[in-house]
Amino acid sequence: MDDKTTKGATTPAGAPATGDKAGQPKIRITGLCKSFGDNEVLSGIDLDVEPGEVVCVIGPSGSGKSTMLRCINRLEEPTSGDIVIDGESICAPGADVDRIRRHLGMVFQQFNLFPHYSVRENLTYAPVQLKLMGQAEADKVAMDLLARVGMADKADAMPRSLSGGQQQRVAIARALAMQPDIMLFDEPTSALDPEMVHEVLDVMRELADDGMTMVIVTHEMGFAHDVADRVIFIDGGVIVEQGDPEQVMNHPRNERTKSFLSKVL
Amino acid sequence: MNPESLIQTLQGVGPMLASGLGTTLYVTVLSLVIAMVLGILVCLMHLSHLKVLRGIAKFYIWIIRGTPMLVQAFYVYFALPQLFQLLGATEFRVSVLTASILTLTLNAGAYISEIFRGSIEAVPKGQMEASRSLGVSYATSMRKIILPQAVRICLPSLVNQCIITLKDSTILYAIGLGEIMYQARIYVGRTMESFATYTWVAVVFLLITSVLMLVSRTVEKRMRA
Repeated sequence: MDDKTTKGATTPAGAPATGDKAGQPKIRITGLCKSFGDNEVLSGIDLDVEPGEVVCVIGPSGSGKSTMLRCINRLEEPTSGDIVIDGESICAPGADVDRIRRHLGMVFQQFNLFPHYSVRENLTYAPVQLKLMGQAEADKVAMDLLARVGMADKADAMPRSLSGGQQQRVAIARALAMQPDIMLFDEPTSALDPEMVHEVLDVMRELADDGMTMVIVTHEMGFAHDVADRVIFIDGGVIVEQGDPEQVMNHPRNERTKSFLSKVL
Repeated sequence: MNPESLIQTLQGVGPMLASGLGTTLYVTVLSLVIAMVLGILVCLMHLSHLKVLRGIAKFYIWIIRGTPMLVQAFYVYFALPQLFQLLGATEFRVSVLTASILTLTLNAGAYISEIFRGSIEAVPKGQMEASRSLGVSYATSMRKIILPQAVRICLPSLVNQCIITLKDSTILYAIGLGEIMYQARIYVGRTMESFATYTWVAVVFLLITSVLMLVSRTVEKRMRA
């Protein structure tokens, strides 16, 4: 890692220099393609996400937006292209994927809490297994995080006894327990009953206000409009249109964006 | 046929059945214990990325599932020793007990490995993804997240396999293992008391399998609670 010596040399114009590696995007995706067999899902995605930026990804189902998100922490293996996290490629041969993933919190549509662990154990599992913290310290961090998502009173409950919204808030806290500096959200509210959507979005909004770098695949257009620094519209495996939410969502230029928004808004 | 004759027969055949049951339980329990270890190994081979290991596991399961256990027992006890002798190991012998345990182990091992594999694959894919996305290695994720859930899933099928193996051990009378069915046949040969003797054999099996089913149901209920 020689970022100190090259610091500033590759600063893109207008990038907010809030990270410790000033001027470097948190995520840089170049030429990302992904095929499942003969089916090409992503056909060349280029995207930089700056430190502290909140990017919402919208688009019709099957457009490849979830696949793109899952490539960022390499849950899906890209067919070609490169993804660089904090200056380090996660796709390079010999890349320490497990170590890079510690910086990337992920929240899934189906929550994926560990059913055989209590809420608190769900949070302490990874930090303790990876020997980043002792159990006592991990417990303390877990309680702080649970308080932050309003779930402190359920620390000893088992996941199955919680509502969907509660499970998703715990899942967010679990990802935060690794103290990541990027959070990836894969349709975090799509599996929730309507009355529980807001409690999860509120937690995400607070996270965004705290300056977390976030990439959110979502169908919540109102949320994207309010919270995103940038909205990206993906269709047919390419970024069709992007820009600030007001522009993309209220004054789309592309016909496909217009057609999609007219159906969902 | 009256109740008294059933009791009378029990007095006669009882000690023989008890000794046969001892052999049945010894062979079954020992085979099942080894078969669990074998099942884990074959299951890991089956899930391996190495084609050779997967091939060996599939071949083994194909053989066991595709042939009757009676044929397997005859193969282990008669056919394989002859093959070894023809190949030059003229002193090669295998005892009835060894052949019985080997047959039962190989048979149960194949089915148990499939039960393990099915249970691991029944754990939702998102569990491994959630653990890996936190930066935890594949091996630790398997050990801490997948296997504990797979164990719960496999328990009912595993108990069921134990019941099947216990019942199938009676087939081993055909190669001369002194288990419960073998003893019963000797007694019937002497006394012609077929009805009473085989009734008692059936009762003994029903008692043991009922206990196992009860255990299975209790465990299942506790797991779900």
